[in-house]
Amino acid sequence: MSSVIWYLYEFARKGWVENFAGAATDREIVESPDRFRDFPEVIRELCIACGACTAACPSPAAIKLVRTNDKDAENGEGITYPVINTDACIRCGFCAEVCPTDPKTLRTGESHLIREEFTILPAEKMFVIDDYLCIRCKKCMKACKVEDAIIEEDNKVMIDQSKCIACGECAKTCPVKGAIKGIYISNVEGQKDVINLVIHTLEDLIEAKQDELKDLPPEQIMKFEVPFADILEEAKGMLPEEEQIRDMVEKVTDRLKLRIITWNDSKCNNCRLCVDDCPSGAITYDEEKGVQRDANKCLRCTTCYQTCPFGVAGSYVARFLLTSTELQEDKIMVTVKPALLPFRG
Amino acid sequence: MLDSLKDVIRKSSIHACLINTGGCNGCDIEIVALLSPRYDLEQYGIYFHNNPREADVILVTGPVAEQWKENLQRIYAKAPNPKIVVAIGACPLSGHVFNQEGSAIYPPLNEFIPVDASVPGCPPRPTEILGALLAVGPDAIAAKGRQKE
Repeated sequence: MSSVIWYLYEFARKGWVENFAGAATDREIVESPDRFRDFPEVIRELCIACGACTAACPSPAAIKLVRTNDKDAENGEGITYPVINTDACIRCGFCAEVCPTDPKTLRTGESHLIREEFTILPAEKMFVIDDYLCIRCKKCMKACKVEDAIIEEDNKVMIDQSKCIACGECAKTCPVKGAIKGIYISNVEGQKDVINLVIHTLEDLIEAKQDELKDLPPEQIMKFEVPFADILEEAKGMLPEEEQIRDMVEKVTDRLKLRIITWNDSKCNNCRLCVDDCPSGAITYDEEKGVQRDANKCLRCTTCYQTCPFGVAGSYVARFLLTSTELQEDKIMVTVKPALLPFRG
Repeated sequence: MLDSLKDVIRKSSIHACLINTGGCNGCDIEIVALLSPRYDLEQYGIYFHNNPREADVILVTGPVAEQWKENLQRIYAKAPNPKIVVAIGACPLSGHVFNQEGSAIYPPLNEFIPVDASVPGCPPRPTEILGALLAVGPDAIAAKGRQKE
């Protein structure tokens, strides 16, 4: 009953009649809010033609890069800029998000102009934690001088690169060798070359000792040393600093495991079982020469070693360690042992 | 009594009909939002009837799938003159995400029926659809013959 009285009271008010006659949606609702992400706005002059926007666009035919045929412009190439096809654009804002120019070539709204924070300290190394080797002792978290720079998330210890100052304190306290790695940021191509150089030199050295390996009795290992100075001399052309080369080679040899395949022609009975099994076609058969192996094509997959009933192919695993003592010259210790696959005599 | 009063009043309003030609329903949901109290389409004198025989405005969403090629023309023929067509969303304009190799879609829409207005977006805002309807609706119908009562 009370609600009916309330309604009658409301209806009797003069203002209600006016509101009823002039009922309309609020302007606020009809107008797009400021935060609304509309079709991207393109500023042609800023474009560097990297193509990141076209790669990021989820819609086919929504964005493409065009180049003007302007002969008067610099280099006679004209300017390149993205064109948005509004018929296909879904206004997701991905193009503006990935645009690397500063200020951005493509603009959609404030929400997509956020840049990830990063430290501006000029550091040579970037420190990362190898999750495979990390034992979660969290000693690095205690040693770290910056608050929250090393975080534990989802049972993983990680370094927040936006806060890290690259002091290297964590790498010193880490009890596991190689669990925290200091990676040089510069000269990535040079670093690749050094890795290839080290691996190829070591492989060639071991393959040269084939005859010794063939006579190696089972469950015996072969050891020898390679002087580091030769590799260092050659690597100096690839990387400028000796310290960096040493660091690089140490990291490579620590985890490196090389597979070595030996070939004993005298045992071969030309059964040709291995010819069909070889995945890369490195083993061929010739009526005059018999079964031949091309070492350059070989993948070291050890399939021939597992197939051969006469023990022509041998499989060995080599591991390395770089020792550095003050008394004697630096050298790489090499250990070669037969592979842990069934041995055929 | 109320129904007959509504009928009398709705005679002068614009009758709209929605056709989804194989889209994802996103644009249709935006049109449903238009009917909700927040946007309230009927205050502008637009009435959703969904009957092509009485429609003044035909709203088309979706990228025109194989089966819709002929049916779309049939529906267009059934609507009384004057009639206007509004393409809603990116699909009737370009086929959008469906426009890929091997898909049986035939955009753009204006290859089949004449399109008077288009609203790009995936999906467009309800207010954008409303804006297009109001911009094109009353005037276009008047221009094509029938006077606004």
